[in-house]
Amino acid sequence: MVLYNAPTNKMHVDEIVDAHVLVVGSGGAGVRAAIEASRYGDVVMVSKTIAGKGGCTTMAEGGYNAVLRDRDSVDVHREDTLKGGAYLNDPALADALVREAPERMADLVRWGAVFDVTEDRQVAQRPFGGQRFPRTCYAGDRTGHEMIMTLLDRLDATDTHLYQEVSVVDFIKDENGAVAGAIALDRDGDVVFFRSDATVLATGGGTQVYDISTNSAAGTGDGFAMAYRAGAELIDMEMVQFHPTGAVYPYDARGRLVTEAVRGEGGLLLNARRERFMKRYDPERMELSTRDVVARAIATEVLEGRGTSRGGVYLDVTHLPAETIEARLPVMLEQFLAYGVDIRREPMEVAPTAHHIMGGLRITPECRTTIPGLFACGEVAGGVHGANRLGGNALADTQVFGKRAGEFAGKAPARSGRIDPARIDEVTRMLDGFFEGAISPVDVRKDLKLTMWNQAGIFRNAPDLRTALGHVRRLADKRLCAASTANLLECCTVRNMCTTASLIVRCALLRPENRGAHVRLDADVATDPATSPFSHTYVSLTREGIERREVAA
Amino acid sequence: MKTITLRVSRFDPAVDAEPHFEEYTVRVNEGARVLHALHAVRDEHDPTLAYRYCCGSGQCGSCAVRVDGKPVLACMEEARDGMTVEPLALPVLKDLMVDLEPVIAKIARICPAPDAALPAREEIEAIKPLRDCIECLCCVSACPALQVTDFAGPTVLRQEMRLALDPRDSGDRITDAIEKGLFYCTTCKRCTEVCPKDIEIPGKAIEKLREIANRRGLTLPRHQEVARLVQETGRSVERTQPTFLEEVPEVIEPDGPVRGEVGFFVGCMFNGRVPQTALDAMEVMKRNGIRVIVPHDQVCCGSPLIRTGQTSFLDDLKKKNIEAFARRGIKTVMTICAGCGATLKNDYETPFTVKDVTEILTEYGIEPPAKLDIRATYHDPCHLLRGQGISEQPRTLLREAVREFVEMPTQCCGAGGGVRSGVPEEAKALGAKRDECVKATGADVVVTVCPFCEFHIADCTDVPVKNLTTILLEGYRKKDAEREGSS
Repeated sequence: MVLYNAPTNKMHVDEIVDAHVLVVGSGGAGVRAAIEASRYGDVVMVSKTIAGKGGCTTMAEGGYNAVLRDRDSVDVHREDTLKGGAYLNDPALADALVREAPERMADLVRWGAVFDVTEDRQVAQRPFGGQRFPRTCYAGDRTGHEMIMTLLDRLDATDTHLYQEVSVVDFIKDENGAVAGAIALDRDGDVVFFRSDATVLATGGGTQVYDISTNSAAGTGDGFAMAYRAGAELIDMEMVQFHPTGAVYPYDARGRLVTEAVRGEGGLLLNARRERFMKRYDPERMELSTRDVVARAIATEVLEGRGTSRGGVYLDVTHLPAETIEARLPVMLEQFLAYGVDIRREPMEVAPTAHHIMGGLRITPECRTTIPGLFACGEVAGGVHGANRLGGNALADTQVFGKRAGEFAGKAPARSGRIDPARIDEVTRMLDGFFEGAISPVDVRKDLKLTMWNQAGIFRNAPDLRTALGHVRRLADKRLCAASTANLLECCTVRNMCTTASLIVRCALLRPENRGAHVRLDADVATDPATSPFSHTYVSLTREGIERREVAA
Repeated sequence: MKTITLRVSRFDPAVDAEPHFEEYTVRVNEGARVLHALHAVRDEHDPTLAYRYCCGSGQCGSCAVRVDGKPVLACMEEARDGMTVEPLALPVLKDLMVDLEPVIAKIARICPAPDAALPAREEIEAIKPLRDCIECLCCVSACPALQVTDFAGPTVLRQEMRLALDPRDSGDRITDAIEKGLFYCTTCKRCTEVCPKDIEIPGKAIEKLREIANRRGLTLPRHQEVARLVQETGRSVERTQPTFLEEVPEVIEPDGPVRGEVGFFVGCMFNGRVPQTALDAMEVMKRNGIRVIVPHDQVCCGSPLIRTGQTSFLDDLKKKNIEAFARRGIKTVMTICAGCGATLKNDYETPFTVKDVTEILTEYGIEPPAKLDIRATYHDPCHLLRGQGISEQPRTLLREAVREFVEMPTQCCGAGGGVRSGVPEEAKALGAKRDECVKATGADVVVTVCPFCEFHIADCTDVPVKNLTTILLEGYRKKDAEREGSS
């Protein structure tokens, strides 16, 4: 490690930007929120990356669930979503999701999205796991990319001011305790203060806290951490979806998403003995069972010695016509070819990978969080998907709740509370502290990711979780060191990762049962999802616990 | 784990006047990508190294850099020992980070009509091949036209065609496309070659936009003249001297035993403008035992029309040409013109096989010529290299024929895509760049196998430019002279 002379100048605010609505995050939910909010006033959107290149929407492959056919119904979609979510979903949020997903799909089509269509000119749909009707709309296996390109086209037609490669590091609250804006760092490490009447948090997920993850480099959980520090309450943070099928090799590409569309199109899961092992775990739905079930099945096969030498199982599409693979799964074909595997001729090797955080900020159906002035939508919000998200429901979530957050933030009144400059100084002092730090954020990041994977992964128990929590707290206390102002952001990011990881572990300790994606090998209470007495776990600066609910016997 | 060394371009506008290279040795995992090598540099050597990345799986287009000169996605390209990593050829912000925003801002946004409805399946299917773009700007970095014109860039034109195909869009995409430089593209296909998504921008966007422009009467006047000439004479070149077809019989028998037989598709340039080169080629075929059948009823292949979007009577040309060769039972048709070859291979459906002269000669094997006492370099014709995937065969033949062969960097000479006639100042500027490369090699002769390149480069450099078959013939003549001298 080369040592650098840390700059000695104190950090200060270089620029102040005012907006009616500040949108933080430029994925599917953030852009949809900005589009909607722009109908009500000035909107500023702050994007950590170049818009369209960050976040998970761009990477989302499989599809968007929406009820579009007479033979399907929103009631069935709702039931599938609740059942898939192990009945932990907030029913009002799930209801909004399934009711409005078709309208939001219509918006996308009207704005120019190039979804696959059928012979009779309807948006094409394919089957996805845990659903009784093939209701997953798609654009090949680049569905999210199609959506984000369309949304950015639409955003361009509004007056939204876009700040790209500017990263929010903390919220600022006014004298009334309302979120009054945010402090951000630009590419060079200069400080920008965004002031707003209402703020929409749409920073997406954070499974980069795990060693093996499908998330982009931007999926570091910043939104969970910033909102937590600002006093917001989060729910169900233990609910981390491990996608069953992530790439296994080469080492640096492990965890890369292998879309559920592969199974939707007929892909078979086989263990090293070439057995279609899903028959032992879910003989009815087989490969198209819910993600929690398939991920645990694969992990179990590997743990019990029936995995491949690289620690995965086979996902095989070689029985499908080459043209089907080329037309429906072009991204998969291209990615595997880059690593020397032709999926038309040989099976893929896959294993579970941390994919999506179902938990997040507690929101109302109007996307209001527990602190005034702050709205949340997309993956950073909790409650929509319960204990396990159905494939195809996340893209729908971004649009339904992005639109809602934008609308209600847009309708928020002008904020009048005074902002104490000391609040801003706190943030700049925190940034200054990184110039006097001692430890490389890179080392902390690596340690954190391994800790989370090994001790807070698919299979959990209280002793491991306690060990993990202790270690994560120790990491969070390390004095991180920035080599230059441009490196301040990496310190902020690693700080956020530590906070997000601790929220996951704390909630995992709070839930004593097995539910959806959360598996406690030491659970001493056997509960059935539909009748479990437990509801959301919750965590904030001031309280934590697990809610009980009355369930008819 | 393995150890690799890489050179990385570093530039900090606050302290550096210009970029410089730093060399780093890092440990990476087997199968590591360029991105992982950059992470290792940052983590082990210098945390201030600036570069972009995000999805890590070839989907977001953040991490494009040039590796050994070629634009690639750092997250997909395997890291190599000894590689050089540079930013894309765009304004550099810091180290490997370039300013993408001005180009992205030129990519048109859809303007949906208020009553926009879902397109039909065939409309969607037509758009999809142009929709995969992740705006990594590899194509913009690599495009030769951008070096000498204010061409907006391949992907910018791709988007115009994507929108032109969408019934929901209400914009005037042809006017936009022309403003953005529709006629600047030489159809060299360098953009397709570097595109991580293999989008065929020249064929699927540029030429199609030019077709729509043509239907609106917006084709460049010089291109219209060419089309009129083809329509009236069957040829894109005016007759100013006896043509090749007038000079040769229908069948040219070899000197010795017949080792093979090909039909010869002459093309307008060899027929009308540089017939001597084609006559030289016939001598080489005779010498190597290959019978050449030359149907005299062949016409222009249509390439100058396709490249410029003037396709209204293209099918007549195709029909005439296919019949001319099929009627004579010809199984293999040889081209010496890279443009004709690429057109017959890619734009025709032929009942016969089409092969470039260099493929024919290397497959049959040639009598070794005497080596000419020259230092020669080779210019890859775009329509041979990328249009037909041929790069090794001409080099193999050339190495046999000259004392010394030196490589020069591959780049379009500026003659193709109707640019030489339509935008002569661009063609000249690209030609001048070729001249610089030629001079840098110190070669006595530039060798190529495309009459357009040959003709154009000869206009742009004072170094002699020769067709490969002429070089071979000179080698045979030298061999004969040496034999005579010794006997």
